[in-house]
Amino acid sequence: MPISKSFLIIGIFFLVAVLLPIAALTLGRFLRASKPSEEKATTYESGVNPIGGSWVQFHVRYYLYALLFVIFDVEAIYLFPWAASYDVLRSEIGLGILLEMGLFLGFLILGLIYAWKKKVLEWK
Amino acid sequence: MNAEFFAFSLFSVFAIGGAVFFLNAIRVMHMALSLAFTFFSLAGIYLLLQAEFLAVVQVLVYAGGISILMIFGIMLTKPEESGASKSFQLHQWLSLIVVTGFFLVIMLIIYQNPIFAPTVKVYSPSVQSIGTTLFKDYAIPFELASILLLVALIGAIVLARKEQK
Repeated sequence: MPISKSFLIIGIFFLVAVLLPIAALTLGRFLRASKPSEEKATTYESGVNPIGGSWVQFHVRYYLYALLFVIFDVEAIYLFPWAASYDVLRSEIGLGILLEMGLFLGFLILGLIYAWKKKVLEWK
Repeated sequence: MNAEFFAFSLFSVFAIGGAVFFLNAIRVMHMALSLAFTFFSLAGIYLLLQAEFLAVVQVLVYAGGISILMIFGIMLTKPEESGASKSFQLHQWLSLIVVTGFFLVIMLIIYQNPIFAPTVKVYSPSVQSIGTTLFKDYAIPFELASILLLVALIGAIVLARKEQK
């Protein structure tokens, strides 16, 4: 398939994904009855009256998880071009290509072991 | 070509609009959301430039990871209803000078190099050629990138653990 045609398909999927929720929400606005009262307008909090605002201070642990996610996200990005060009590289530089990626992953696994040892991954 | 121009105009308006909303939003959470919107629009522009790998990276890392990280960072701070800042303070003047200087340098580089020269038409996905170039010619910088990631990982753990105590 030519590349422009596959992009056209991606574009159509993207348009459908954007338009579907917009259409559903606008249609729902016209179809549903609207009788707001003060009780209905309060935030749903499992049947209990909500206390305070929605903005509460999180524990720093959550931030650490987000940071770990971004770092391993970036690592995963590098795996894609490696996997896509594996055959070409295999014939040109041989098994050194495995070593290259092994070294790369090794450094990050070192970091993961460090995080493990420092009990970052444990949840109390 | 016409559709391409239309898509480019749409994406650039979205990108600039997101950035303007980012600057004008009162709540910090709205700022993070409009920044994510700008990231998405930039991914669209990359796609138009036939850099589809860069576009996917933009969505995965910036619109996905960095935005989540920013929202977590916002949730980490103490909720404070801060009013509008009074006037231009010293640090704002400083950042204005830095940003203007950066803009001038970038513009100078752009006008000195003929980046608008016609490029070779690419028919195959760029992921493969990126992989071959990266792992054959730039193997050492690639390994250095992993060390950089390792340093970021350990630094984050050390900083966060210090904060917990």
